[in-house]
Amino acid sequence: MSFSRRILGKMAIGLLAVTTLSGTAFAAEMPKPFDKPGEIKIALVRYLSTGDFFQAYLAGVEAQSAALGVDLRILDSRQDAALQADMVDQAIALGVDGIIIQHGLTEAIKDAAQRAVDAGIKVVAFDVNVENPAIPQIEQSDRDLARLALEQAITDNGESWKAGYVYVAGIAPLDRRDETWIEFKKRYSGINEVAMFGTLDNPIANSVANQARSVLTANPDIQVMFAPYDEFAKGVKIAVDEAGLTSSVKIYSADISTSDISAMREAGSAWVATAATNPAVVGQVSVRALAMLLAGEDPGHNVIVPPTLITQSQLNDNDIKNMQELSAKLPQFAHADVAMPAWMPLP
Amino acid sequence: MNKTTTGTAMASETSLNSTPALQNVRVLTLRDHAMRYGFLALLFGLVVYFSIAADGFASPISAVFIFQSVSITGILALGVTATLVVDGFDLSIGSVATTSMMTSSYVMVVLGGDATSAVLACLAMGILVGLVNGILIVYMRVPDLLATLGMMFLLVGLQRIPTQGRSIATGMTLPDGTVATGKFSLEFLALGRHRFDVFLPNFLPVSVVILVVLSILIWFFLEYTRYGRMMYAVGSNERAAQLAGAPVRVYKIWAYVISGVFASIGGILLAARIGRGDIASGNNLLLDAVAAALIGFAVLGVAKPNAFGTAVGAVFVGVLLQGLTMMNAPYYTQDFVKGAVLVVALVFTFALSRRSR
Repeated sequence: MSFSRRILGKMAIGLLAVTTLSGTAFAAEMPKPFDKPGEIKIALVRYLSTGDFFQAYLAGVEAQSAALGVDLRILDSRQDAALQADMVDQAIALGVDGIIIQHGLTEAIKDAAQRAVDAGIKVVAFDVNVENPAIPQIEQSDRDLARLALEQAITDNGESWKAGYVYVAGIAPLDRRDETWIEFKKRYSGINEVAMFGTLDNPIANSVANQARSVLTANPDIQVMFAPYDEFAKGVKIAVDEAGLTSSVKIYSADISTSDISAMREAGSAWVATAATNPAVVGQVSVRALAMLLAGEDPGHNVIVPPTLITQSQLNDNDIKNMQELSAKLPQFAHADVAMPAWMPLP
Repeated sequence: MNKTTTGTAMASETSLNSTPALQNVRVLTLRDHAMRYGFLALLFGLVVYFSIAADGFASPISAVFIFQSVSITGILALGVTATLVVDGFDLSIGSVATTSMMTSSYVMVVLGGDATSAVLACLAMGILVGLVNGILIVYMRVPDLLATLGMMFLLVGLQRIPTQGRSIATGMTLPDGTVATGKFSLEFLALGRHRFDVFLPNFLPVSVVILVVLSILIWFFLEYTRYGRMMYAVGSNERAAQLAGAPVRVYKIWAYVISGVFASIGGILLAARIGRGDIASGNNLLLDAVAAALIGFAVLGVAKPNAFGTAVGAVFVGVLLQGLTMMNAPYYTQDFVKGAVLVVALVFTFALSRRSR
């Protein structure tokens, strides 16, 4: 399976290159349905919507839809998997031209996705595997996120250190990040994981802080905390501050938000680096991939949005205080050159 | 007192043979002792076990931290105890706490208020929610579980309306596109982060002090004041209390107000510790708090809600979680152990207690 997926990935890159190249020939000429964009209706069918990440994702979808001039409908199932499948059917009944499926549960959504494809509707899926060769999968690369953060940890601390690791099994993105962590531990035998903990009890930061405090009491010699989810990192930071170990522990994480930026920039903060994909960019890429399908082009089966490494010193040097300034001052964070044929208007 | 009379009754019933009667008395006393001190003994045993098994468990810092980790759920649990005393229940405490966290963040970050106004706004919110809960239950005759369940959903939604579902942090973008410039005031953050120099420098967190003070207050109120005793009377037999001339409705509403205020204090401490307004349902806070209060039934074998038991219950859960985490037990074993403790406590309360027969 992984073998064929790799080939698919390569084909995707190849196809992407081809479409980008052929696209330049038609520069600025809008392809077929987009010459009358007002008649195109697309639907965003959401499974998860609360929280900063999903708000920003939606903002990206809205911005790219506005740039294309298409009519966007938003259907939000609020973590009800059965309702999400019904909403796909509802979108089919609405007569939309394209559907973006955002998160969800594979078993619940895959039949509905197939029905949409059968109805001649173009579909893309973000962060949920709908097991359908006709549906491109938009992904933020969790493995790359973890890799960037861990490479920075190696750069900062050398190849051998005592580590605490925050992980909860069974959550797809965390599982993918965990694969990279296991790989790193294999590659660098000097990494000594003395404690693994984690919980999703909300408020997550508070519950993780309680656990991390216990872990730090038991292992005050931990040098690196790998917390590959920003809520985990927030909790660990609270615990490190409370335990008075700010100067001896470094925190590496994934994801970013405005409040993460201020936590990283606090004087003497132990949270030194995070790797993140801009959720707004992921939203834009989702719409662009769908638009390419509608125009009869192929975005490839796996559309991967690359992450950016953000360090404490970058934030301090550029005096970045919130997500807007981050996008403005780190261009690699504000835009991803993915699913970008030449005719594609940018928001 | 009660013990001896039962013993004598048993003895007279089985007067044909005096030996089994004597045994009976002894068994009952043993069981009484097991009932009364069983849970405290279990707690003591746990502390000893973890002190041996987990490095660094037996230290003053670790002890203070156990209290700190349970301070928020402990305070919520004390509030729910007040409603349990009048034979009610408050499912909304978790969401009151998170709403209070959002309220304080909103007042400071978006409106630019100071610590005092943030705290006052939260307390006012807690009182209001308690009053509404009480009025729904007492005057609108909505069953307590349903009324507070409705309030829970209402608050989970309400706390998201002002920011359109975003978490609140300094520098956040507001729905109208402007950037919030307010900050968490240092005095407010101190509620969650400052530590007093007692015994050791930088030792005792504010939240622990608040937990201890509130425990003593509510314990004294429930056990030793007329109002507290009346609340127990209302809870054990509402009709009798009413016939005896007690303003039953007022007491019930007060119980929910106490619960709302305690939950909002919990939320203030939560916001001060995290330093931002996090979107959260607070369901885990609710469950942990209810677990602590129910474990409290079993402490001292009283088989009724009581403030001392609730505080011990909260600490019990805290000791378990601290010890297990220090021994690298994953989170699901912790949930399992929490559940097992609750079941054992309920068995203590309902099966072994003679009172409940």
